[in-house]
Parts: sequence; C-alpha cells; structure tokens
Amino acid sequence: MTTADTNVSTPERPLTDAPRASATLARERALTTLQMLIRRELWEHRALWMAPLVTSVLLIACAFPAHIDFPDFTRASSDGRFRDIAWFAALQWGLTTLQFLIAAIVVNFYLLDCLYAERKDRSILFWKSLPASDGATVLSKLLVAQAVVPLGVYLLSIPTALLFSLVWMVRASLGHLPPAVAMWDTVAWLKVEVIVLFTGVVAALWYVPLSAYLLLVSAWARRSVFLWATLPPVLAIVLEHVAFGTRYVWSLIAYRTGGIFDYVHIQKIIERTIFSAGSGHPISLSAASADLARAFGNIDLWIGLAVGAALTYAAARIRRYRDDT
Amino acid sequence: MTPVIEARALKKHFGATRAVDSVSFTVAPGRIVGLIGPNGAGKTTVLKAILGLTRFDGTLQVLGRNPDSQRDDLMQDVCFIADVAVLPKWLRVHNALDFVAGVHPRFDRSRAEEFLRKTDIRLSSRVHELSKGMVTQLHLALILAIDARLLVLDEPTLGLDLLFRRQFYDTLLNDYFDKERTILLTTHQVEEIEHLLTDVIFINRGHLILDSAVEDLAGRYIQVTVAADGVAALRELRPFYEREIFGRVALYFEGRSPAELTAAGGPHAELRTPSISDLFVARMQGSAQ
Repeated sequence: MTTADTNVSTPERPLTDAPRASATLARERALTTLQMLIRRELWEHRALWMAPLVTSVLLIACAFPAHIDFPDFTRASSDGRFRDIAWFAALQWGLTTLQFLIAAIVVNFYLLDCLYAERKDRSILFWKSLPASDGATVLSKLLVAQAVVPLGVYLLSIPTALLFSLVWMVRASLGHLPPAVAMWDTVAWLKVEVIVLFTGVVAALWYVPLSAYLLLVSAWARRSVFLWATLPPVLAIVLEHVAFGTRYVWSLIAYRTGGIFDYVHIQKIIERTIFSAGSGHPISLSAASADLARAFGNIDLWIGLAVGAALTYAAARIRRYRDDT
Repeated sequence: MTPVIEARALKKHFGATRAVDSVSFTVAPGRIVGLIGPNGAGKTTVLKAILGLTRFDGTLQVLGRNPDSQRDDLMQDVCFIADVAVLPKWLRVHNALDFVAGVHPRFDRSRAEEFLRKTDIRLSSRVHELSKGMVTQLHLALILAIDARLLVLDEPTLGLDLLFRRQFYDTLLNDYFDKERTILLTTHQVEEIEHLLTDVIFINRGHLILDSAVEDLAGRYIQVTVAADGVAALRELRPFYEREIFGRVALYFEGRSPAELTAAGGPHAELRTPSISDLFVARMQGSAQ
C-alpha cells in the first residue's frame, strides 16, 4: 500500500501568519464562531423563540373577546384623562411583563437542558470535533439566555402592544368597547417602553449568577438535572432550619431571585409611573430611571456578576473534562 | 519529519482498572494507521487522549501540541468522527453546513455540497429523517471538506451495511487521503480495512502488542501451514500461536527465516505472510495464552 502520490499539488498550508494580522484574524474568527454558536442554540432550542411568538399571538388574540365590562371607564370624571393614561400604561406594562415572565420560564429550562442534552445524545462529540472552544460554547449559551432572548422578547413586545391597542381601537370605533379603554398615548407608551428596557437590563445582569448556576448543573449532572438544580437548595434550607433554626439560605435565595427589585423600589416605580398617573401625576421617567440606576451602585450586583463568571468558567471546565460519552 | 503523534508511556486508569498501561508509539505523516484491539482493549481511551477528550498520564504530542492543554488550537488541524450516531437529531443538513463553515476556517463548503450531491441526502432534511447510512455520508461529507492534517475515526462504520462501509472507505481513500494527511482509525472489521492500512498497532488490555508498518510485517511474520505430522519439528522453533485449518495446522512465527522454517516443515510446508486479521487473532490469542 503506497501513499497517494498524485495529490502532491496541495498547497503548503500556512501554519503561522504574521502575528499582528493573525491576531485580528483570530478576533474576527472568534466573533464569527460565537455568532454561529448562538444561531445553533436557536436551531436546537426552538422553544426559545416559539414560546415568545406564541405568547404574542395569544395576547393579541385576547384583545378580541366580545364583551368586557369596564365600569370605571364608562363614568366621566374630572381627572379622566390621567386615569386613562394610567390604565393604558398599566396595560402596556402588563403585556410586556407577561411576555418576559413566560420567556424567563423557557430560558430556565433551556439553561438546565443545554449542556446535559448534548451529553445524553452524545452529539457533544460532534461539537467537540470542531474548533469551537468549551469556553465559547458555554458563553454562547449564557448570552442566549441573558441577552439574545431578552432582547428578542423586548423587540417582539413592541408590535404585540401596538397590535393589541390597534385591535381595541378598532373595536372601540365599532362601539364594542368604551372609547377610553382603547386610548393611545405615544409619550406614555414610550416612557413605559424605556422603563421596561431599563428594568430588563438590570434583571439580565442580576440573574447572571442564577443562570450560570443552572449551566453548571447542566454540565455536571449525569441525570435528573431538574432535581439536581432544585433539591440541594431546598435541602440546604430545610437542614439549616432544623439544625440552627435560622433562614440564611432561604434569604440568600430569595434575595438572589427578586432582591434587586426591592432595592430599586420596583413597586414604587410601578405605582409612581403607572398607577399614580391615575391620581393626576404624569409618568416620571427620570424618577424611574434614577431608581433603576441605583442597581449599578449596588455591590451585590457586581458580586453576583463575579460569581456568575466563576460558575460559567466552572461549567466550561466541566464540559471540557467531563468524560461520560 | 516531525511525527504527527508521539505517545510516551501513555497511561490512564479508571479506579483500579488500567485502561491504558504505558503505551508508547509514534505516527508519521502520510500514514493510515489502524489501531486494532478487542472490546475494552483501550483503543477508544487512546483516541480520546489524542483528541484531548480525556486526561492521561505520560507525554503525548499531537502535531507538536499537547492535546490536554492546547486542545482548542489543536482542533484547527485535527478532525474526528467518534461514532456514526453523534450528529444531533434536530440538525438540518444545510444548517450543519452553515455551522461548520462558520466555525472552521479550513472548511470548503462547495466540496461538502459536491459530495452530498452524489447522495440521496436533501439539504432541508433533519438528521433524524436520514437513514443510518445517510447520517454517516453526511458526517463524512462534513469532515472530508475540512483540510485537516490528522483525521481520527473511531469505529466509523459500526452498524452500517456492507455497501455503505465499502463506499465509506473508498471515499476516504480516493477523495481525501494524501501524503500530507494522516488517518488513525479503529474498527472491529479488520479484514475490511487491512488493504488500506500502512501501519498497524495492536492493543490488548491496555498494552501495546504490536506496532509495525504493514510493509515490515512480511519480513517479520511467517505463517507456516503443514500436515499434522510436520508440527513437532516446527514447534521446536517456538511459534507464538498455532491453529488447525481443515486438518492441517497453521503455525505463526516471528523473526524466523523462511529457510529454517522450510527445513523444519519439510517440502509440503506452505509459507506465507499472515493477513492482518490472522495476525491479529494470532497475537491476541498468543498474548492471552
């Protein structure tokens, strides 16, 4: 058996380019790879974009029911204009928040599944045969959860809200709804959108450690990822309470799930920007922004990001060396 | 020439079990090396170490790099098919092409598409819609379009029918292999690949049993077939294995000259170079005895 001498014409492969040119090239390649890895996630986990789309369609469909009783809006009053704005702002806020909540549930299941499923069906061996590092792969999953999906849901929430309002306006013009319900106020709408966006950014950063924890469990567990993700914290809470009668673990988990919203006074923001419009005050964007900006001065946000980075790194290391295929 | 793979005292244990025990070998560029051994011999562990998929003791250099610490860099030049069934079921064929084109700087998409045109695979299909043979064709199309220097195949044709297996190896040899590329493969079906190997490495229970270029086997190993009455004289020359074939006995020798074997076996003794599969069986049985 002789080697195929006929193919000698293969050009010499350049193994080392000029260092500077190759550094730029490497950066470009890393970005292309990351982009490809992110697209890959959306191919595999279709629920990530199907669930928000279905939610939007359902919400718009909800604008169609034939008869709704709105007693408040049928009565005329002196501050009617502001109350209408409050109602409108609350509606816009509610629609968007609902879409974010549903996306959050889908994203959590995605995070738990993504590094486990590829080991279960052994496709990790295919992904690992290509030059996409474990670090880039795990990072792409975190980015999908904390940036790609939230941004997508946010962008989707805009036409959803517009269509919803459009349907109501048409129905109001047909006399099926009181005209006040189907109002539109562009300034109020824009303000709500900005506040939602700002809240989304704060939430995405605040939940990095939680998401990274789910990734770590997904990379590590041999089976029952859901149990591995939920049982240890529950056991820790119970054991701590039985042994010491304290509730530190519980407080930590509660803080890391919703704590930032207490800190930025989200309730106050909602009341002041949305419902207090009903009592005659205009929506205050600057006050809301100032409250949300407090999050960036909170050391716990940055500690959380550091912990999240460490957990993500650990997940990438485990993916690198976990040898159970 | 710098070796493609250089393993020195490679070791790997799982608990008390030594999967690979002090294995050393070298693979030169432009070779097709068969890593052959029974189930559980440690083949896959050796391959995994070479591909940076598992940790190991000892030293291992692949294309001058350490697969443990320089894996990301190494994967630019190394490609592998670990198993026929590892392409994810949900993946669409055209997305697979998009992905590999996106992450691999040395992937030639038109080459992969050209290869796929010769098959019944449609670009819009998902992997789970393809037959097992088609999945292998797809995987091969992706891998062969990558200009890699080392290709590692671990049982790539397991569970495929004969037609697909034959086609697989023909494609590999005719459309891919050249003197700058190296292929390292394992398989159960030794007889199917023995004509294409340039080197063989036998491994059993974590130990290296044989490491040789195929062209060197002829000078080193001789199979002598004689009638039962000629066996005694030949046994004096210490065969490492013998077996009966239709009433005659085949004896396997290492490092004996044809002249001394003919002298001992008598005029009716048939001498020939054993096939790789015969040698494999002889070596495995011999090392077990």
